[in-house]
Amino acid sequence: MTSPLKSPFAAIFSAEVLFNSKRVAPYFLILLFTAHSVLWWGWSAAASYGWGTNSDLNIARNLGGFSFLLGLPIFNAVIMGDPVIRNFRAGIDPLIFSKPVSRAGYILGKFFGNFFVLVCCMSAFMLTMLVLQWFPSSRLVLLPVRVFPYFKHFFLLVVISHLFLAVVYFAVGTLTRNSKIVYGIAGAFYPVYISYQLFLLKNLPPSWRVILDPLMMGGSHPIPADKWHDADWINQIVVRYSSVMIANRALWILMTAVCLTIVYFRFAIAERPQQSSFSTLNLSTAADRVYYPDQPVTGDDSAKRDFHEKVGVVLPEVHRLTEGIRANLKRLVAALGVEFRLLRSERSIVVIMPLAVLISVLEVAFWQVAPDPTYSAGYAGNTARSLLLFMIGITVFYTVEAMHRDRDQRIEPILRSEPVPNYVLLISKFIATLLLTLALAGLVALITIILQAAKHNGPIELMAHAKIYFVIVVPNAIFMAAAALSLSVLVRDRYLTYALAIGLCAGLFYLYTQGHNHWLYNPLLFQLWDYGDLSGGGKHSYILWNRIYISGLAALFLSFAHFWYQRASGTAFRFDREPQRRSVE
Amino acid sequence: MLKIEGLTKTYAGGILALNRVDLEIPSGVFGLLGPNGSGKTTFMKILATLLEPDSGAAEMNGIDLINDKHGTRRILGYLPQEFGFYPTFTAEQMLDYFAKLKGVMDRKERVRLVDALLDRVNLSHSRKQRLSGFSGGMRQRLGIAQSLIGQPQLIIVDEPTAGLDPEERNRFLNLLAETASEKVLVMLSTHIVSDVSSVCSHTAIIRRGEILAFASPRQAVSELAGSVWDANVSREQLAALKSNVNVVSSQMSDGLVRVRVISKGERLTEDFSPATPTLEDYYFSLVSQTNG
Repeated sequence: MTSPLKSPFAAIFSAEVLFNSKRVAPYFLILLFTAHSVLWWGWSAAASYGWGTNSDLNIARNLGGFSFLLGLPIFNAVIMGDPVIRNFRAGIDPLIFSKPVSRAGYILGKFFGNFFVLVCCMSAFMLTMLVLQWFPSSRLVLLPVRVFPYFKHFFLLVVISHLFLAVVYFAVGTLTRNSKIVYGIAGAFYPVYISYQLFLLKNLPPSWRVILDPLMMGGSHPIPADKWHDADWINQIVVRYSSVMIANRALWILMTAVCLTIVYFRFAIAERPQQSSFSTLNLSTAADRVYYPDQPVTGDDSAKRDFHEKVGVVLPEVHRLTEGIRANLKRLVAALGVEFRLLRSERSIVVIMPLAVLISVLEVAFWQVAPDPTYSAGYAGNTARSLLLFMIGITVFYTVEAMHRDRDQRIEPILRSEPVPNYVLLISKFIATLLLTLALAGLVALITIILQAAKHNGPIELMAHAKIYFVIVVPNAIFMAAAALSLSVLVRDRYLTYALAIGLCAGLFYLYTQGHNHWLYNPLLFQLWDYGDLSGGGKHSYILWNRIYISGLAALFLSFAHFWYQRASGTAFRFDREPQRRSVE
Repeated sequence: MLKIEGLTKTYAGGILALNRVDLEIPSGVFGLLGPNGSGKTTFMKILATLLEPDSGAAEMNGIDLINDKHGTRRILGYLPQEFGFYPTFTAEQMLDYFAKLKGVMDRKERVRLVDALLDRVNLSHSRKQRLSGFSGGMRQRLGIAQSLIGQPQLIIVDEPTAGLDPEERNRFLNLLAETASEKVLVMLSTHIVSDVSSVCSHTAIIRRGEILAFASPRQAVSELAGSVWDANVSREQLAALKSNVNVVSSQMSDGLVRVRVISKGERLTEDFSPATPTLEDYYFSLVSQTNG
């Protein structure tokens, strides 16, 4: 009998671990989680209230929070979303599938290999806390050193929770072979999860609320209000897992197995004869598609036959306009038209846009909106704030994707050798993404007005809606699109750009929520405006100056992108982690 | 005339891709011949404004190809070794877009040009077909069509025949030969010697970033007149031959080895008979010398 360690499963598992060991993402995650662990160790509630930082409750509390916060559910997608997709991208799939590898071995090797890497990354948080027990501080209370609780809570609260999320991302990535859809779903995690909690779980009996929660957030141990300062009470608590909580963990392991079974039956190694061009499980773009062609590839034999005769066709003389503003404007319009056409074929929009609209209007649709000072201002202000996160996500995502699309399609060298200035290639992508974002904002504004009318919260003041959207939302969108474009130009690697954008946004929002909120480093005016300020209130001029300030920044970003954009490689320093080609070809 | 002086490129890690390349290439079809990894694509990319050399100069019709990138792009038609198109576009839409980028702004002219280009590469009947459905040969032909837009004076095609079947390859080379003229230089890089001997008026052989020879295929072949011999020998004899003379090729056949050797002026043994020299003999003689 063959040893399991010599099976194709083990080979694929170890290849995945090896591959991930050469990526930047796992190291970035380990660094991020370690840094956060140090922060949570020294500056969390335990430090403030004098609890034992290694008390059982604090360990479970920190790990439960870690599982939900810090974008971990999104980072999960970075590791788990594309293990199969990248084989197809690299064109290695025929080499693997022509070997005696079973579907189950392939899928399980891919899944568990990457999940192992994810667990290693996540364990950095837990291990850092564990190690810090040997570094006492006079500010912190430390109980006798303990080891087992860290592993127990980590396994039950973090690993199993993320096992289910991991299989969701893995299944979507494997079946659609489109990483954009995976990231779209990851981006929608927080709104969807919070909505799930609010609209579904909230109305269920407590035990069902615990069982059906994939992250088991409802099962954590709440601290009574009068016990927060009672360190002795906190320190003596031993966190135990009730039968309901165990049932929850069993359920989500079972769900993981079900998802893997679905992937097993849906995933085809062999080429399928024909597939409908559009279905909910086949949202991949034409470039990502491997086995599901829209049209059969034609041999074109008749064309070959008389190709020789056609060589003598004389090309007509044409006039070319390659210099001057008029020529460049015309080419910009042409490039913009192409960008729109390409955006239109982005099938991820079909998922992301409705989701963004839905989540943005959720609160005004289902809750009572207070007049602030009028109903229109309240409605518009509410949706404009809800929209902010989606606007950031969509702007960054589509700008970065547009910047990398040409490389993905391998048309980049041809485009870069065309006699057009950089800004024609860049501004077309900027405007296309900006208009997409503005279309989203417009749609949300329209639905907001319709909802306001439907809920009879009149009168509808179009001016209030317009003020909020034109003064707050539109300049924000321009700024974000310009910032995302310049970041893409500076950092030419797609995933590094995403990581930087997420890190930057998370860091800034953390600062804002901690009270460090100044318009100089809060260009989007998060929590810095209300409707009164827009209609001649105390901060009216201050808001206007901010808008001028971010417009200037946007112009600066665009200029920077134009001048820094490198069409010829090897000209200047760049934050690029493209593998260096060893061959001089 | 394209003049290249001292073109040098070193990649990170100290890999010398081009080592002071000097060339003067007249109009017509020029073939750059070399084994994989010899620096052909690096050379082509530098001339196509997509890679910065460490040093050196290149000039054509008064345009500095290294420093005046915009000017170069105005006279350039480029078909990279690896390229693709937007799969959701049709052939017509793709060419129309490239024509606009090249500055062909008049709509009527553009329509006529796209029609003629599609006709020339015989894709007229597939003009409305999505590019995702194109075969490799069709895609390659569309690639050459886009490089012909806007009357380019310098057309750079990097290993264009790789992956084409022999019939398609011949037709493709004919198309390149037709395109070249007194005013147009077509630069073709390849490792297939017969591509060069078929269509090129001049050729250079490159190895490890250095130009080993520059000549017309006819000149190159004439240099070997009376020096190429072939014979059937045993494996043991082949081993002995390799240590004594320049064996340019050997091929197993019926238990014996058919060898071609270069031996200036004298027949090695009675088994050898004189052979007509080919460009392939010239290429292998140079490459094997530098190997040694």
